[in-house]
Amino acid sequence: MNLLLSDDYLLQDYPEHITNTIRSGHSTCVRFNRKGDFLASGRVDGTVVIWDLETMGVARKLRGHSKNITSLSWSRCGRYLLSACQGWKVILWDLQDGKRYREVRFRAPVYGAELHPWNHHQFAAALFEDQPMLVDITDSADVRYVLPSVPKRSNPETDAALKEKQAKEDAKHMTTAIVYTATGDHLLAGTSKGRLNIIDAKTREVIYSEKIASGIITTLRLTESGKDLLVNAQDRIIRTFHVPNLSAADLDPDTIQIPLEHKFQDVVNRLSWNHVAFSATGEYVAASTYNNHELYIWERGHGSLVRMLEGPKEEQGVIEWHPHRALLAACGLETGRINIWSVTSPQRWSALAPDFVEVEENVEYIEREDEFDIHPQEEIQKRRLDQEDEDVDVLTVANGGGLGEDEDAFRMPILFNLGESDSEEEFVNVSLGTLRRKSPGDEDGGDDATGEDRGPGKKTGGPGRGRGRKK
Amino acid sequence: MSDLDSAAGTPTLGPPPKRRRVHDDSLDSTPRYGTPDGARHSSPPPAGRLPDQSLSIRRGRPRSRSRSRSRDSGSPSRSRSASYSRSLSHSRTPTRSRSSSRSSSRSRSLSSSLSSSSSSRRRHHPGTTTAQTHHHHHHSRRNRSDRAPILPSYHPHLGLQGHAAAVSQVRISPDGRWIASASADGTAKIWDARTGAHLDTLVGHMAGLSCVAWAPDSDTLATGSDDKSIRLWDRVTGSPAHAVMGGPVGGSGGRNGTAGGARGGRTGRGPLLGHHNYVYCLAFSPKGNILASGSYDEAVFLWDVRAGRLMRSLPAHSDPVSGIDFCRDGTLVVSCSTDGLIRIWDTSTGQCLRTLVHEDNPAVTNVCFSPNGRFVLAFSLDNSIRLWDYVSGLVKKTYQGHTNKAFSVGGCFGVLTDIDDGTAEKEADGTVMRRQAFIASASEDGDIVMWDVGSKAVVQRIAGAHTGVCFWVDVHGATMVSAGQDGIIKVFRHRPKGVAKGNGIPNGVNGVNGQENAAAPDNAAADAELQRQVEADAESPGQHVKEEQL
Repeated sequence: MNLLLSDDYLLQDYPEHITNTIRSGHSTCVRFNRKGDFLASGRVDGTVVIWDLETMGVARKLRGHSKNITSLSWSRCGRYLLSACQGWKVILWDLQDGKRYREVRFRAPVYGAELHPWNHHQFAAALFEDQPMLVDITDSADVRYVLPSVPKRSNPETDAALKEKQAKEDAKHMTTAIVYTATGDHLLAGTSKGRLNIIDAKTREVIYSEKIASGIITTLRLTESGKDLLVNAQDRIIRTFHVPNLSAADLDPDTIQIPLEHKFQDVVNRLSWNHVAFSATGEYVAASTYNNHELYIWERGHGSLVRMLEGPKEEQGVIEWHPHRALLAACGLETGRINIWSVTSPQRWSALAPDFVEVEENVEYIEREDEFDIHPQEEIQKRRLDQEDEDVDVLTVANGGGLGEDEDAFRMPILFNLGESDSEEEFVNVSLGTLRRKSPGDEDGGDDATGEDRGPGKKTGGPGRGRGRKK
Repeated sequence: MSDLDSAAGTPTLGPPPKRRRVHDDSLDSTPRYGTPDGARHSSPPPAGRLPDQSLSIRRGRPRSRSRSRSRDSGSPSRSRSASYSRSLSHSRTPTRSRSSSRSSSRSRSLSSSLSSSSSSRRRHHPGTTTAQTHHHHHHSRRNRSDRAPILPSYHPHLGLQGHAAAVSQVRISPDGRWIASASADGTAKIWDARTGAHLDTLVGHMAGLSCVAWAPDSDTLATGSDDKSIRLWDRVTGSPAHAVMGGPVGGSGGRNGTAGGARGGRTGRGPLLGHHNYVYCLAFSPKGNILASGSYDEAVFLWDVRAGRLMRSLPAHSDPVSGIDFCRDGTLVVSCSTDGLIRIWDTSTGQCLRTLVHEDNPAVTNVCFSPNGRFVLAFSLDNSIRLWDYVSGLVKKTYQGHTNKAFSVGGCFGVLTDIDDGTAEKEADGTVMRRQAFIASASEDGDIVMWDVGSKAVVQRIAGAHTGVCFWVDVHGATMVSAGQDGIIKVFRHRPKGVAKGNGIPNGVNGVNGQENAAAPDNAAADAELQRQVEADAESPGQHVKEEQL
């Protein structure tokens, strides 16, 4: 509803400044839910923390992993969260009660696991040194399907020697990244050989394969519409591709084309990229850099670099763009803090009084003919009341304000006992609003340090200075 | 009190049908419940349906406060800072003491008036009620066919007694099942909205309470007090809600929050501390993650509810902040003040997005968003309630007809549907469910006034709902509650015109003399009531026929 009043649409659509830093332990990966009101972060110690972006506070903590969290994936409804860890385990959490909804163990560490975009009972997982899996957990016993990593071969070799050679080659193909297409009918998989495979989720066969990079593909991401693909590979080049509608009824696997759109790279510094993300609309591409503190933002229209975001003097790892807003979250590799960049709009002072107007240049005031006429008070009042004959609708919700469907949407319960629930993190109240962990030896220091608001125009209460009174 | 009877039925303008009082012979079969207040609405169907409506209605609920703080001198409240707190405390104390003195005498006077009212009711009612219901019948017949507008028609149902001083605010929980009341006696109480049973008394504040707010899950509530603190309570246990830092920490910080809690934060189960003056109004965001508070220190604070942490403080006004509300999607906060300004804030940035001021600049004492969030309803001390289009910055409607000059009285939007009106099931399936909004407000003469949103006409007036000032009205579908200076909470039920009820729970406070926390039909009485209802249900068909023949 604030859109009705704000000029924020005039603002830039990519973030500008670092506005918040939040921390809970050492975070290694982050993910926004679809609505963009929660951010899940996975920690080195295996804890998953759900942040409420409105309060910049912890909304929930999920404990069940014991190793570094490698990937997170939200269900469409926002109620389920899939977390994968290096400890060979994937957990689907139910955020209603914060309990494990399902747990699936693999025989290898998990690179990443992604939920089916429409069905939270299905997910795909890319495994370390193992074949990727499609897991169906509709029934109480999960059903696993091994997915292929090897490129599709149109004419199977008959020659035994060649076959053997191929088999050897095939063994080197490992799937390193896997994502669902927007409809969930297909999977896009990136391999250690730089190939992109398209796998039909039903037949679980590779229907298309193409070498798109010369190094290991580390990240695959799609825009919300599923029409654009972002690929990060170890060859120091970020690529974007157009993805055709793979769910079209007349799709012929042999004619699929995945045209390359842009290549983003830093040819001068030869930087390589830790992680990449599309902006909300796909208009921009952001990347965190290896061995460098800055975040790069390119614009896709012309393929030009528009911004290098400065932040703390720290290399950033996983980076995520908010699903609607110009807001970027990135995990600091060294400290494990989550840094948030966004835009801050200045207070419009015309909002502070109804007769204030912001003008570009001086305007000569022209007095109305009757401006200083004196009318009897009652008459004015009566006229005023008579004019109120307009129809007002106080009930109908104008849709288009974005989140219209929230009536029956999942709503995360508000917990008050977050602190009490984790025994290993007892807080000690040192002084006014200052906390520290009970066990001084712990490297994490104060565990959940929230909201160092850095944005200009933000006047936030740290404890103690909580009021702005103008006197 | 005795005019409660007439309150229910009579002195209304506009649509409600004139009520003739006609004698009916069916009386002898239902002698005791023939009261016009036809509290019958506690009968299962409406009650059972309540939850369905909760969502939409909750949105419409105003979040605001009423208060026993008199601003008798009206304008002085607009005086500025330095003298301010002084003048405030002046005006405040009198009220307080007045109400407390009242309370001492209250049990006597009340109970006497009560018993008299009930007896008088019994005396009258033979003539009255049945006639009314009968009349309704005709109406309903006609109405159902041409789908006449749904009009509020609330009738006394329960009287909840127990507070030892004026009740400043009363709110129905978003799910419609509970009622919370905040009183100048320093406690808040939780009641069962259906039976009126007193469930819990929340003790902990060191001074009178001005405001109470329900979290959207109906399991947590917040209270704000003149002791400058805000407390969060667990509805189920009636004890303070957990805070982030549980355990031993709370010890020094003061479990009861009396001493040493950190400012701008919360220790253990202690209160939210940070305001520098009386906390006057509270509102939860629709998700329940943010609590907004307005205070006499002229600031609006936004709290992270989970952590009990002060998130943001808005330098909002130059006079006490008298009302606050969140819009339905939680992105906007509206606040108002006796400085005459209504400000709309962006929840996420804390920036002021719009300021609304009426030309006459009357002190604004309460605000709430419309159910769809497109308008703001502002209650001001010039006997007017204004509906603002905050985007254009224009007043769209002015509602008048109540008295509001010195106190911050509250009200809200009410929404009635075909289900509340009892017409839903009878309609053909194809008909779209209608929703009809109205505005309800308390009045300083003890009345409750309801207006049609569009025509600005008073559609119902419940005269003399309270002795003295009526401070607060809250509506949740077919249930309405009010609170007033007399320390009593009244529950009303919407009785659709079409559904004639031959019986009713005795209205008003039934005579439980001075007993603490008594709901009118107390438990034993409730059972009896149920029995009566069952009997009445059995009888009613015949009765209806009789009425129609008349």
